[in-house]
Amino acid sequence: MSNPLALIGRGATYVALSLAAFVSVFPFFWMVIGSTNTNADLIRGKATPGDALWRNIEVFFTSADLPRVVFNSFFIAGVGTVLTLLVSSLAGYGFEVFRSRTRERVFAVMLLMLSVPFAALMIPLFILMANLKLMNSYQAIILPSVASIFIIFYFRQATKAFPHELRDAARIDGLKEWQIFLFVYMPVMRSTYAAATIIVFMTHWNNYLWPLIVLQTNDMKTLPLVVATLSQGYTPDFAVVMVGSIFATLPTLIIFFLLQRRFVEGMLGAVK
Amino acid sequence: MSSNTTRRGFKLAGALAGISMLSISVAAAQQITVWCWDPNFNGATMEEAFSRYQAQHPDATIDIQVFDKAAMEQKLQAQLASGSTDGLPDIVLVEDYRAQKYLLSFPGAFEPLTGKIDYSAFAPYKVEVSTVDGQTYSMPFDSGVTGLFYRSDALAEAGYSAADLENITWDQLIEIGKGVKEKTGKTLLPIDPNASDLFRIMMQSAGSWYFDASGNPTIADNPVFKSTLETYQRLLTADITKPVAGWTEYTGSFTSGDTLATPTGVWMTATIKANPDQSGMWAVAPIPRLGDIDASVNASNLGGSSWYVLSSAPEKETAIDFLASVWGQDVDFYQKILVNQGALGSLLAAREGEAYQASDEFFGGEPVWQNFSTWLAEIPPVNYGIFTEEADAAVVAQIPAITGGGNIDEIVAQIDAQVRQQTQ
Repeated sequence: MSNPLALIGRGATYVALSLAAFVSVFPFFWMVIGSTNTNADLIRGKATPGDALWRNIEVFFTSADLPRVVFNSFFIAGVGTVLTLLVSSLAGYGFEVFRSRTRERVFAVMLLMLSVPFAALMIPLFILMANLKLMNSYQAIILPSVASIFIIFYFRQATKAFPHELRDAARIDGLKEWQIFLFVYMPVMRSTYAAATIIVFMTHWNNYLWPLIVLQTNDMKTLPLVVATLSQGYTPDFAVVMVGSIFATLPTLIIFFLLQRRFVEGMLGAVK
Repeated sequence: MSSNTTRRGFKLAGALAGISMLSISVAAAQQITVWCWDPNFNGATMEEAFSRYQAQHPDATIDIQVFDKAAMEQKLQAQLASGSTDGLPDIVLVEDYRAQKYLLSFPGAFEPLTGKIDYSAFAPYKVEVSTVDGQTYSMPFDSGVTGLFYRSDALAEAGYSAADLENITWDQLIEIGKGVKEKTGKTLLPIDPNASDLFRIMMQSAGSWYFDASGNPTIADNPVFKSTLETYQRLLTADITKPVAGWTEYTGSFTSGDTLATPTGVWMTATIKANPDQSGMWAVAPIPRLGDIDASVNASNLGGSSWYVLSSAPEKETAIDFLASVWGQDVDFYQKILVNQGALGSLLAAREGEAYQASDEFFGGEPVWQNFSTWLAEIPPVNYGIFTEEADAAVVAQIPAITGGGNIDEIVAQIDAQVRQQTQ
């Protein structure tokens, strides 16, 4: 028999957790329910499923060249994620493994740059891209984010747990430094990569401000830009916005569930 | 007969298709790019305007790019600030309140249209907002002429007829609100305590603004501004308003019948008419005026926007020709966008057209468009200056003090101090 005080404590924990779960799940629930209602019902706060889902989907699909938009989003997020992971993990590995006083200084300066908001970099970056003749291109969106300071920092921290012995053993076996990175480091750190994939993919997928500024034609638009267009105007149809939001959320959600276990491991910094 | 027409139609279509194939390379060189922010409103009217132009100029094509409004402004501002004109459109839609800010912050970025467009044909206040140093830059588009939209059924139930709302003061409206509350138990107006709409409407009805023509704050010692705050205070303390948060809740409040009226711009018509089951239950009265200010009239403005041509535009000449020949004079075009998009343009001659004369069953068979355009010509012109948003923020910050029954003279002094600090 457990004592009544512990029971009460446990009950309180469950109430608090249920509340927290409700608060975090409700927006998602509201999005799904909203997408099945008409705009008028949605504004009235109707929280039961309606029958306007197909109509909303139809409106959403005719509001933009969707296959093209989805392709743009996937291409930018996909290529961007692979490049960011490669470059930034290599940098994070390098900073941790090949230490020197100068490199520490460079690293410190980089961390300082984390505090510069993007809004301040936007216009110089825009001029740079205009001079490089890269306006309205995929490169203009992908390139500036490939060297992500946060991801470099994240990999550097994770590399601290990477056993020296493994590297030494690989060297004795005759592997070159780039081979050690590719064939020893990367497989061992797969949880870290999984966690970083989710973070980087989400950043690329949801990126809004920079694509908005640098993309100029309708055929280059990404999903967040299309959803943002839907939600404004003088008489926005919020039900269609909900359909758009579901569409924009799904890929991140799928990737998260696929990598969920590794994500948790990666966040804990586990190396097995 | 009909089959004959159809066959001819096919031949014509074939011929047109042939022409358009041939002219693809030419057309690419004459594409006008437009930025705007509402696919159903300004985007749709632009499309209609262009189809008329294209009938005369088959070589020209258009690319209308619709953004979210704040995003479009950010994009435009970033690009103008960077000095790179690569990728800017030929024509851009600018909200009237922001026009002066753009024109003064980026001199030379926009093309003056004085001499190319006959501005005497437009509502004077629309021309005023886009004039800097004697040069006018805009093709005036939609008007934000205001009216008091109200549920005629509920007000009739409380014993008020249309005549009771004709050319009244805000204080008379407060009395009506109290009467309605007493008889029906319902609240008259939804008020968003983070919006400055009512202040703007009240000030402009008396031809006054936060700033004078040379941009100096006219907040302290301005009887109109003081009266505006006092009126707002009486309105909010009379228990005839319901607080709402944000746009959705605001529009939802009166379209669901929760509140019974709202003073706002003509562009709200589309939102109100989106509920066909309320047809015949609505009416529009002239906007109330400030009772203690002689200059205040029963006409004002809220919002509205205009088209601007960029100096760097690759298709500048075509763009100007297009604007001047359709937007500048085509009365028939204005009838069409009034009916289809509910867009009330600023071309005064459009008032004589058929659609403007027609009555609207939704509003109890009243000629609402005729009324709106009569009020349109009466709106006192003001110069919005470049710091309207900063002044708005200063006013909104004091709304809790105003509704809390604070001393208006002290509040005016606070607003004045904040505006001066931010705009020097």
